[in-house]
Amino acid sequence: MGFLNSPKWIDVENWSLSWTIGGTWWFPFLESIHVIAAAFVVGSILMVDLRLLGFAAVKYPISTLSKELVPWTWGAFVIATVTGLGMFITRAASHVVNPAFQWKIVLLALAGLNMAYFHFRIYKNIARWDDAASTPMQLKVIGSLSLLLWSGVMLAGRWVGHII
Amino acid sequence: MPDYFTSIGTLLDGSFLQSGALWALSTIPGFPPIIQTVHILGIAVVMGSVVILNLRILGLAVPSQNITEMTRRLMPWLWWALASNLVSGAFFLFGRPLRYFNNPIFGWKVSFLICAVLLTLFFHLMSRREEAYWELSSKRLWSARAVALLSLMSWLMVAMAGRWIAYVEYIYYPA
Repeated sequence: MGFLNSPKWIDVENWSLSWTIGGTWWFPFLESIHVIAAAFVVGSILMVDLRLLGFAAVKYPISTLSKELVPWTWGAFVIATVTGLGMFITRAASHVVNPAFQWKIVLLALAGLNMAYFHFRIYKNIARWDDAASTPMQLKVIGSLSLLLWSGVMLAGRWVGHII
Repeated sequence: MPDYFTSIGTLLDGSFLQSGALWALSTIPGFPPIIQTVHILGIAVVMGSVVILNLRILGLAVPSQNITEMTRRLMPWLWWALASNLVSGAFFLFGRPLRYFNNPIFGWKVSFLICAVLLTLFFHLMSRREEAYWELSSKRLWSARAVALLSLMSWLMVAMAGRWIAYVEYIYYPA
């Protein structure tokens, strides 16, 4: 993983944008937006996950919940990513070698894979269980994994600030 | 900061609550980030309950969900999340009471929280008085939208102020 120790990350920290964000009220501003957006990502995906587990909102078809909530999740995710990148560049070299940050990226990728598996492999057969209050094991596993992985992303993300 | 507010900090400072909180925060490995994450997950439930409900009332989200049904289903989640956040937040509050009760942004956070809780409680209680209370006339629906807008902004300001507590110290008390 040589690229993690590359001096290029220091160059990123020295961009004038990085200095502007790091040295002004921009940083806390971006961070508060990041926390709100991240909480919204988890809060909106939580509603879908609990439906996949058969715990909540069982009166609504899974496809309806997913169609109406996931665009909000993505919108919030884009905001969280932009604000996150804004904070990242102020300390790029330290972040890439920070174990909490590395965990966060790995968990994010796993959460993304889990979501992709649901949307591209499982979603095709949606008609079979769309209205089912009691969902099949496969959906329960995907819903639980999503909850665990996103909670892990939050924990790792919060831990970044304790290590840096 | 008003005296009655800062005096809560003085009261808690040096109490057994402070020693208990400090013990947990400093003894249990990883306790501060873990309890902060529990706090943020509570905020996520606030987003997934009252914030989504407010967006629904404003006509912005989840059009196929019914307002009355949503209120009945989501409000318990909100109240439990708030209870959980009072507990997770208390560890930090009790641990360093003077830091919080002398911090103007913490004062703002509490004020926004009181606003948000009162608006949401009002909405919830009225909806329990009569089936579909907020949807029975266009006047009521518009009142619901006004309450939803104020409530939405208050909840977001609570989260926003929460994050700024840590930063205002640099502005008010520079090192």
